[in-house]
Amino acid sequence: MNEESKTILLVEDNDDDVALTLRAFKRSHLMNPVTVVRDGVEALDFLFVRGTYAERGVAPPTLVILDLKLPKLDGLGVLKAMRADARTALLPTVILTSSKEEQDVIAGYSLGANSYVRKPVDFAEFLEAVKILGIYWLALNQVPPPQ
Amino acid sequence: MKIRTKAAIAATMMLGTMVLISASIGWADAQVRAAVAQQRHSVEIASALNNMRMVTFEYLLNRRDRARFQEQVVWERLERLLANPVALDGVAARMLAGLRGQGEDSHRLFSEVEASAAADPADDVQRRFEAQLSSRILILQQNSLVQAEQLIRDAGERIDETQRHVVVITGLGLMVMALLTAATAWFFRRDVLRPIARLELATREVAAGNWSFELDVGSSDELGDMARHFDAMTRALRDSFNRLQVSNRDLVVLNKELESFSYSVSHDLRSPLRSMDGFSLALLEDYGDRLDEDARDSLQRIRAASQRMGRLIDELLGLARVTRAELRLQDVDLSAMAEEILSTLAKTEPGRRVRWEIEHGIRVRGDRELVAIALQNLLANAWKFTSKVKEAVIRVGTRDEDGEQVCFVSDNGAGFDMAYAARLFGAFQRLHHERDFPGTGVGLATVQRVMHRHGWSLGAHAALGEGATFYFRPTEQVDERREQDHPAG
Repeated sequence: MNEESKTILLVEDNDDDVALTLRAFKRSHLMNPVTVVRDGVEALDFLFVRGTYAERGVAPPTLVILDLKLPKLDGLGVLKAMRADARTALLPTVILTSSKEEQDVIAGYSLGANSYVRKPVDFAEFLEAVKILGIYWLALNQVPPPQ
Repeated sequence: MKIRTKAAIAATMMLGTMVLISASIGWADAQVRAAVAQQRHSVEIASALNNMRMVTFEYLLNRRDRARFQEQVVWERLERLLANPVALDGVAARMLAGLRGQGEDSHRLFSEVEASAAADPADDVQRRFEAQLSSRILILQQNSLVQAEQLIRDAGERIDETQRHVVVITGLGLMVMALLTAATAWFFRRDVLRPIARLELATREVAAGNWSFELDVGSSDELGDMARHFDAMTRALRDSFNRLQVSNRDLVVLNKELESFSYSVSHDLRSPLRSMDGFSLALLEDYGDRLDEDARDSLQRIRAASQRMGRLIDELLGLARVTRAELRLQDVDLSAMAEEILSTLAKTEPGRRVRWEIEHGIRVRGDRELVAIALQNLLANAWKFTSKVKEAVIRVGTRDEDGEQVCFVSDNGAGFDMAYAARLFGAFQRLHHERDFPGTGVGLATVQRVMHRHGWSLGAHAALGEGATFYFRPTEQVDERREQDHPAG
């Protein structure tokens, strides 16, 4: 696994948010490849290499950015399934969501999220948040060794 | 029948029986006295009759003058006794009257014997007549004696009979009293003790929360009334408890709806705002050089409006959270909290020169998070409204008002006209123009909610251009209902 293949999995159903997040990555000069999935089930298919993603390479993403409100299976459900599986149990996962409801934050952390970030309305602030996230999780943070 | 009536009947019957017994004893005493008097009188009569008989015998045998004289004395005694008869009843009175007649006859015959004896002692006819008279006297006297003894015996029998009557009446009376006592005890047990025990059980059951417990006492006495009132009270309590439960359930449902509403607001309403702001900025960044000043200004306005709506939503959610949050009371160091908040404000606006004076050691008992939210809003307001003053001063302190501690936050900023003070604590109510002092108008509403949750009173005093003072009374008495926001069940 070389540095260039550090994939980011973006789990987000809102097209606008996908576009803005990708724009923020670009403007923060994060060159990592980004895979976008639109719902919780698709996210798990990708992570566990099954369904429409059965044919993809087995290299896991380096970082999962997870929205909470998703069709079919919500973000907390995805997180729960990830942490229950040895292949993704330690995968760095950041919750990036509109909600700052206390119960969501608590639920996110208790299910094993590594970070909880709220999407600010101000895009400048959002950009700042994504930049810091990228630096921290993709450059600074030491990821756990592959299982 | 009322218990009072029953008690009155029992007491009257007791008293009646006692009066009856007393009367019978009194009657018996009078009877015995009368009988004893008759007996004594009759004994004297009998003794006089006996003497009479003896002197008559003596005279008839010896014909001595002494005997004649004695007969006269004894007769006078007898006559005196018979002149004042002591009789128990009609029978005795008739017998005494008879005795008097016989005595008079006997005395008259005695005089005739005397006269005959004085006439001619040798006359045979006279002798036979005399002997006839003598035997009539003796028979009369004998009869009288028998009757007098009969009177004595009658009196004795009367005494015995009276005694028997007294024994019987007293015995019967005591039996009646014993029966009455037993009946009273039984009634007391049935009508008083048992209902009281049931009532006691009922109060315990109802106190333990068994609302369906009913006494259902059918008796028409005072305790029956009490039991019916008790049942009515239990029913009323049960009804209001049920109504309370229903409204509590409604409240819980409403609360859940409110929660899911604010959840949606925080999620769904913010998302389009983010798009508006983000894509406006993208336009500005990517095509800014191809747009004229007006177009760029419009895009900036879209961004500003989106961000402002984002803040409004956040503050509205904050207000809802303050209303919903559970109170956790603890000692809060208000002075340290104010110092921290003001230091942070100073850091966010390093260009501002604000002096602050915080009284040391202000402590209140409240919910740390909520108190922090309130203080943050008050101090941020003070900070904001002193932005146009040269020498800005913010004070946090306490003063004593009728022995109660009153905390205040004051500034020397823009202040406001007290005429509009009524609108001060309403959500989205603003007393200044947005272009002078930006804000959403939720801050003081939030402060007011925090105070309300604690049961503290909040007030303000200000004058236009002379600063504002907000004060609150952190009384210990927290509304119990607010602490138990989530009803059991």
